[in-house]
Amino acid sequence: MKTHRHMWAVVTALTLALSVAACGEEKDEPAGGGDGGSAAAGKDCGNVVINENAWAGSTANVYIAKAVLEEDLGCEVEVTKIAEIPVFQAMADGKVDVVLEDWQHVDEYEQYIEKAKTVVQGGPLGVEGHIGWFVPQYVMDENPEFETWEGLKGKEDVFNSEFLGGDPSYVQKDKELIEALGLDLKHVTAGAEPAQVARWSQAYKQEEPVLFYWYTPQYLNQEYELAEVKLPPRTEANKDCKDDAKEGGDPEQYRCEYDITIINKLFSKKFADSGSPAYDVLRKMKLTNEDQELVAKAIAGDKQDPEEAGADWVADNQDTVQQWLE
Amino acid sequence: MAVASGRLRAPAFASPTSRFRGRGAQVGAIVALMVIAYFFFKDDFPWPSSLVWAELPGKLDSAQDWLLEQRTEGSNPFFAMLDGFRAFADWLVTALLDFLTWLTWVGTLVAGTLIVLRYGGWRAALVVLGAFVSFALMGLWEESIQTLALMGAAVLVSLAIGVPIGVFAGRNERFHRAITPVLDAMQIVPAFAYLMPVVIVFSVGPAAAVICTLIYAIPPAVRITALGIRGVTPESVEASQALGATSAQTLFKVQLPLARRQLLLALNQTIMFALSLVVIAGLIGGRGLGDVVTNGLYSNPALALLAGVAIVIMAIALDRATSAIADRTDPARRQLTDEGRKRAHRITLGMFGAIALVVVGARLLGADGIYPEEFETATSIYTADIQDSILGWIQDVLDYIQDPDSFIFGITDPIGNFILDRFLEPLRKLLVEAPWFVVLGGLTAIAYVLSGLRPAVTALLMLAAIGIMGVWEPAMDTASQVLVATAIAVVIGIAIGIWAAETPRVERAIRPVLDTLQTLPQLVYIIPFIYLMPVSRVPGVVASVLYAIPVVIRLVTSGIRSVPPAPVEAAQAFGASRMQVLRKVKVPLARDSIMLGVNQGTIMVLAVVVIGGLVGSGALGDLVARGLQRNEFGLGVVASLAILALGIALDRVTQGKRGTRTDLPDRGPMFGLVRRRRQMQPGGGAV
Repeated sequence: MKTHRHMWAVVTALTLALSVAACGEEKDEPAGGGDGGSAAAGKDCGNVVINENAWAGSTANVYIAKAVLEEDLGCEVEVTKIAEIPVFQAMADGKVDVVLEDWQHVDEYEQYIEKAKTVVQGGPLGVEGHIGWFVPQYVMDENPEFETWEGLKGKEDVFNSEFLGGDPSYVQKDKELIEALGLDLKHVTAGAEPAQVARWSQAYKQEEPVLFYWYTPQYLNQEYELAEVKLPPRTEANKDCKDDAKEGGDPEQYRCEYDITIINKLFSKKFADSGSPAYDVLRKMKLTNEDQELVAKAIAGDKQDPEEAGADWVADNQDTVQQWLE
Repeated sequence: MAVASGRLRAPAFASPTSRFRGRGAQVGAIVALMVIAYFFFKDDFPWPSSLVWAELPGKLDSAQDWLLEQRTEGSNPFFAMLDGFRAFADWLVTALLDFLTWLTWVGTLVAGTLIVLRYGGWRAALVVLGAFVSFALMGLWEESIQTLALMGAAVLVSLAIGVPIGVFAGRNERFHRAITPVLDAMQIVPAFAYLMPVVIVFSVGPAAAVICTLIYAIPPAVRITALGIRGVTPESVEASQALGATSAQTLFKVQLPLARRQLLLALNQTIMFALSLVVIAGLIGGRGLGDVVTNGLYSNPALALLAGVAIVIMAIALDRATSAIADRTDPARRQLTDEGRKRAHRITLGMFGAIALVVVGARLLGADGIYPEEFETATSIYTADIQDSILGWIQDVLDYIQDPDSFIFGITDPIGNFILDRFLEPLRKLLVEAPWFVVLGGLTAIAYVLSGLRPAVTALLMLAAIGIMGVWEPAMDTASQVLVATAIAVVIGIAIGIWAAETPRVERAIRPVLDTLQTLPQLVYIIPFIYLMPVSRVPGVVASVLYAIPVVIRLVTSGIRSVPPAPVEAAQAFGASRMQVLRKVKVPLARDSIMLGVNQGTIMVLAVVVIGGLVGSGALGDLVARGLQRNEFGLGVVASLAILALGIALDRVTQGKRGTRTDLPDRGPMFGLVRRRRQMQPGGGAV
């Protein structure tokens, strides 16, 4: 029975130490619960929590912003990594201040921005999302007619009659497009983005033909030479053409290229009202697709430390950064 | 339904010598009828839309909206109560993390190793030391400690909730039966389905991550505790009551001490289940290794793999440490003299003294905070981890695998195509394209033949529910993948399980492999399989097989091991060869356990259906994943419920006749942990 007493001794000791440790740290900000710029409304920047998403482009935005805020405003930037949808609730609760790259989650805009008013729009980041059909450059060189979708007609067997679909959680309408365009292609899904990249990059390395759903900005576009197959353009005649097959209905109404996706910045209401100078700077922050891909490639492709990559870009682009700081 | 009904049980099929063979023939006949119906009525009868409750996903969506509104208003007392729990969970994780940081990395390493050395022996201590050192060398120290704190808190809360419920369930059979289906649902419904509601109620951060982990980790705690309490012999309980003990005294002085081993096993299993949720926890602010895995998948697969390995190492170290402590501190095994007690006491004091000294020393020398990536001296800088070189090696291996001219590709690609063309596609076509009433009736009839009337009725209701929820087609697609994956897992699992049971060396050798397969995040190891297999549902099947195999192997091995020695010795006395003993005595006597392996395999396969969706298997897994990522909450929930219904239906089809299981009194849970534990008891092995 003696051992039992030892066990209790361990438990008591741990509990004691724990509470001592906890008391000792109480003065600090609790981790993850950044209070935004609530400290001293006005000049002092304080703590800013920015959320980073899984993809490399998002990492690039976050570390560019971090470099500017820390260097020029003396803020303390904390980076969280919460998934795209849950982060809306995180902003509503004031646990995350800033999302720099949101791909038009319109349902959440309605719930959190319009109805609950706990999240505010931060305007476009400047990066424009573009979804389309892509092939490796070597395929395009051999078959120049693939420049537009009409060139695919009758030559589907080049791709083994397969179209490699995108991540099922992304906006897409390729099954409907294939039907509406009358192409003899079978839509296959490799799964989530990492799995899809594994598929087409494998084909690319073998110089095999492959036709797939892809988008810009994406750092892999700097590593792989890809070419786009043009889909039927958007004109006055088909301006109601839809992009998200989630809505269902007749394939014909999806018969056009994907529209440009405006990528938005979002702020928590609390952060926007805090008077933090960081808010003004982030609102003015603008990046081009090239800026983002460059930094993303440095991080994901060349394995550069994100902090360094962000700081390097800021150093090289002082003109742009000064416009945000004005 | 008229096509294939239970009436097929014609006596002509049943052979008098072997009932089992007769049942095989009956199942064959049912399947044959289904195939005939498929050829005649292919695609003619999809699930009728008039039999679909189409408003269900929409209703679920508005339920989520309602929850959000309630939460935003903030006046609901129910939420105030939950807020209290949230604050507590947040505090617990933060306090643990702060404590570990306060110990400094040297102190954490020394304290962990010494405590395990004192209570668990040097083998376990070496494993723990090795784990800490590898976190440091992999350059993942900070993330590992964050994960350790989160998992520590989650395990503590799981036990604080699960053990009392388990004790009550162990003392009250009706309560036990009532909560069993709830426990089943908690484990089979994918976390993706309830992630968003959890976040709405508990916000993001440590608390939400703890809650999600709790949902998955509490069931084993409850089940094993209940089993332990009921495993106490009635004689002991009656004796204590005869001596006038109160109910509480009986519990604390008799039942709980006698169930000690089981309670420690509950701890052990809770740790394993909790660690398999690290990646999901990362999505909602859990931080740590989960974040590294998720980000790595998008931009650095080698890093994702490395973080996955760190999770596995943590699981193995915790497993070895807790089972060693369980073995060593068992009072029944220790007969200490007074002198020995004093000595043990001194050793304990010495240990805590040493830890305190190291911590103080480390803090004085400025080693506080996290493990540094490099050490700086006056003249030069030394890197303190070998992350870059490990990542380089992993990348080389990945590059080799990605090359279709590689040696492995020549093996895996044909196998993948074979599975696809011969099994997956035909079965999918049969289940999806045959008339819905034929499939429904056929599966029900198979359940009746194999398991009896009540299971057949349950299976019928579950399958009908799937149709009514409007996901018949994807569910049948998933069912075809689940069946193929289970079949492969069972065949391989039984073969390896028997081999391991006969050869202890093999068992020891595969144990770390099984631990790895159960805790390594599936997405991490499935990427290489994507390279090696054709674009299809095959990688998803491979992922399920790898996840399900450990359970099958463990059940088969323990089943064969626990065959009583008497019949084996009798057979040997009659001059039976080793092979004959195995085939004629051991395997038939372990049949229940092997059947349970089939059953458990199915459930494990279902538990990773979502992963299949992420690697191109489509069907239900795809719907669940989309439910979270595209705000189609209702759709995700419906698909999750369909997975659950499919699980229950397949469980009823494969469970076999209950009558043969007289040696397994508690026939309750689908996950069968209770039954499994009981069988593993003689070997004393921890999973």
